[in-house]
Amino acid sequence: MKKDVAIKVAHVSKDFKLYYDKANTLKEKILFFSKKNRSKNDIHHVLKDINLEIKKGESVALIGTNGSGKSTLLKLMTKIIYPTSGKITTNGKLTSLLELGAGFHDDFTGRENIYFNASIFGLTRKEIDEKIDEIIKFSELEEFIDNPVRTYSSGMYMRLAFSVAINVQAEILLIDEILAVGDQHFQEKCFKKLKDLKKSGKTIVIVSHSMEQVKQFCDRAVWLYKGQIKMDGKASDVLEEYLKICG
Amino acid sequence: MIKLKVFKELYNYRELLKTNIKKEIRGKYKGSWLGVIWTFLNPLLMLAVYAIVFPYILRVDVENYTIFMIVALIPWNFFTTAIQTGTGSVVANGNILKKVYFPREIIPISITTSQLINFLITCIIVTIFIIVSGVGFSIHLLLFPILVLIQYMLTLGLTFILSALTVFIRDVSHFISVILMLGFYATPIVYLGSMLPEKFQIFLKLNPMAQLVEAYRAILYYHKFPDIKMMTIWGIGSFIILIIGYLIFKKLEKSFVEEL
Repeated sequence: MKKDVAIKVAHVSKDFKLYYDKANTLKEKILFFSKKNRSKNDIHHVLKDINLEIKKGESVALIGTNGSGKSTLLKLMTKIIYPTSGKITTNGKLTSLLELGAGFHDDFTGRENIYFNASIFGLTRKEIDEKIDEIIKFSELEEFIDNPVRTYSSGMYMRLAFSVAINVQAEILLIDEILAVGDQHFQEKCFKKLKDLKKSGKTIVIVSHSMEQVKQFCDRAVWLYKGQIKMDGKASDVLEEYLKICG
Repeated sequence: MIKLKVFKELYNYRELLKTNIKKEIRGKYKGSWLGVIWTFLNPLLMLAVYAIVFPYILRVDVENYTIFMIVALIPWNFFTTAIQTGTGSVVANGNILKKVYFPREIIPISITTSQLINFLITCIIVTIFIIVSGVGFSIHLLLFPILVLIQYMLTLGLTFILSALTVFIRDVSHFISVILMLGFYATPIVYLGSMLPEKFQIFLKLNPMAQLVEAYRAILYYHKFPDIKMMTIWGIGSFIILIIGYLIFKKLEKSFVEEL
């Protein structure tokens, strides 16, 4: 892989099996074994032969209607799921803001949860120690940080989770409709932080339905339609085409 | 090359491994009055129960039967608890696996390692029993770490296989409970291996836990060397099981999230 490439998606396809009634037990698996031949029709091709190269420092938006495969592609990039065929290579530390608050434990304090959450992102204790003040300050939860997170409101919870995710110093950030965190003030702050990260050369991939955000933030947009790339290019051009058809 | 990558990734995620192990050990008793003291109290009480019950129901003609049994029972307990909790561990962590990427093998590794630590803590109590009973220690104790290492590799290898299989076939965990119960009697823990009829001896040879338990007993109770040939065979065997287990786990982990 070339040095300046952050994410390379080569001939990636992803199928999901559609289960009507999932055979979970050994008995069911044996009983319904013969069904396997039939189930060929029950495979849903979410992504078909996707080729994509994202350069370092680029900020790319994945757009498309529901079910077009954007989130699946993002999940494949994070290695939560694996492609049925093809290969995805990433270059650099990667953080996903797909599901915030992974590894949060309600009974533990905000501070302890920062450690849990950040360790899931692969940070060492020392690195977290260095970052923790910044994280707490960003979340604006100073007075509540030593209370258990079960006492938090959902907004506070998301603020804490977002603050951890965005401060882990990844080179690649994957974001799925995340800018709806907290109130107006916090959203603006997140947006500003993302812009700073972009300026500092991080690679950012966003899935968004908000055309306004895409226009403001991304240089490039990839339009997915029924699991294939319909258009890839400068954000403003792609958006224009997209809105012509879907707007 | 591949192996190096494995260790590098685990090393990068060492903090997660540490917090997971800590959570596993401390979390169990969180909310209870005595807290971490239970880590000691629990095995102590359990040993007391076994030491009171078994001499009366099983007439094994050995000196210091309590020690004879304990030095086998405690390693066996490490094995069963790790296998039992390990088997369901990937399924139990399904929610977090769906949300975020981290090296999946951290789950079985942290379960087995936290059980290893529990085992070593319990060994402090075993030590007290051995000293108080007058059995004492000998130079053979030096082999103890090697036996623990063999057992750890064996347990971790099996946990890799079972935890991954359970994702696809949930029945595995029920099946395993029965197998482990059978294993308790198929392993010379509360009796002497030589008490078994000749035709069953082969099962003891094929059962790695029987071999390990006999070895622990040799060094801690009889103060002699264990069967070196058998230990070498099972040392290598455990290592192979560990590698195979890891490879199976790595192969299956790719479809974990879709099956959970």
